[in-house]
Amino acid sequence: MKTVSHISDGELIERSRTGDTHAFTQLVKRYEQLVYGFSYKVCRDKEKAEETLQDTFINVYRKLSQFNGESKFSTWLYSIVTNNCLMKRRKRKLDTEMVSLDDPPVSDKHEQRTIPAWTDSPISSLMNSELRARLDKAILKLPMEYRVVFILRDVENQTAEEAAKILKLSVPAVKSRLRRARLFLRKELNDLMVE
Amino acid sequence: MMAKKTRTVHRHHSLHCADVFSHICENLDADLDSPQCREIKRHIAGCPDCTALLDSLKKTVYLYRTVPIPTIPASSRRKLYSVLSLETGRRLK
Repeated sequence: MKTVSHISDGELIERSRTGDTHAFTQLVKRYEQLVYGFSYKVCRDKEKAEETLQDTFINVYRKLSQFNGESKFSTWLYSIVTNNCLMKRRKRKLDTEMVSLDDPPVSDKHEQRTIPAWTDSPISSLMNSELRARLDKAILKLPMEYRVVFILRDVENQTAEEAAKILKLSVPAVKSRLRRARLFLRKELNDLMVE
Repeated sequence: MMAKKTRTVHRHHSLHCADVFSHICENLDADLDSPQCREIKRHIAGCPDCTALLDSLKKTVYLYRTVPIPTIPASSRRKLYSVLSLETGRRLK
């Protein structure tokens, strides 16, 4: 007899499709923290993360028959969460502080003659409330399309190919957005981190 | 001695910082072992600006990776299962 932790995603999905709510519950339990954590990383707000968590699993339940198993379940899940985050942004129009990176102020070229070195202090000693607030503020300024690329690639460790699949973009487009996002965030944190 | 200095300068300028910047920004974690990457690695070793950029980009990513992310509050989990129970028509817990 297999314990729940030994049942594959595929099996839980199959059982869920036949109306097995116990299997669906196990699937939700397996991925609820991933969805909540990713939503929080994108919107930096507990209330929005909670809403996205609910909307995502309702979408999963309704669309489970459309999951064809060609990609990993987590990849499919990330694409649903991302769509929910993007839709919420459009609906609420709250991200008014976002900058435009279409014509980036931070050039991909040599942006300044001398680049100051960042402090070598242990990051743990820097992880105070001021820094956390600055990290949140900086990432919220990033347009959502760039923010999700940065989080998927650099925080969630998805490959460029997986991120491209999740976002329905080409790999070069993912790389381009990632490059701009990294440079933008670095610039935003620069004054806090320079030695 | 002069010849050695000239070679060093030449190596440093054989790649432009802008090219290296672009490569660094796209491939922070890449293994720098291909012939092209070895040249980039040499450039970075001799270029304080590119060294500083690489280091600061790695630290930027590290900060976002390590900032604590909350776990789901019990109240959010209860709401989730309540909403899903309504959706599925069966009690989920």
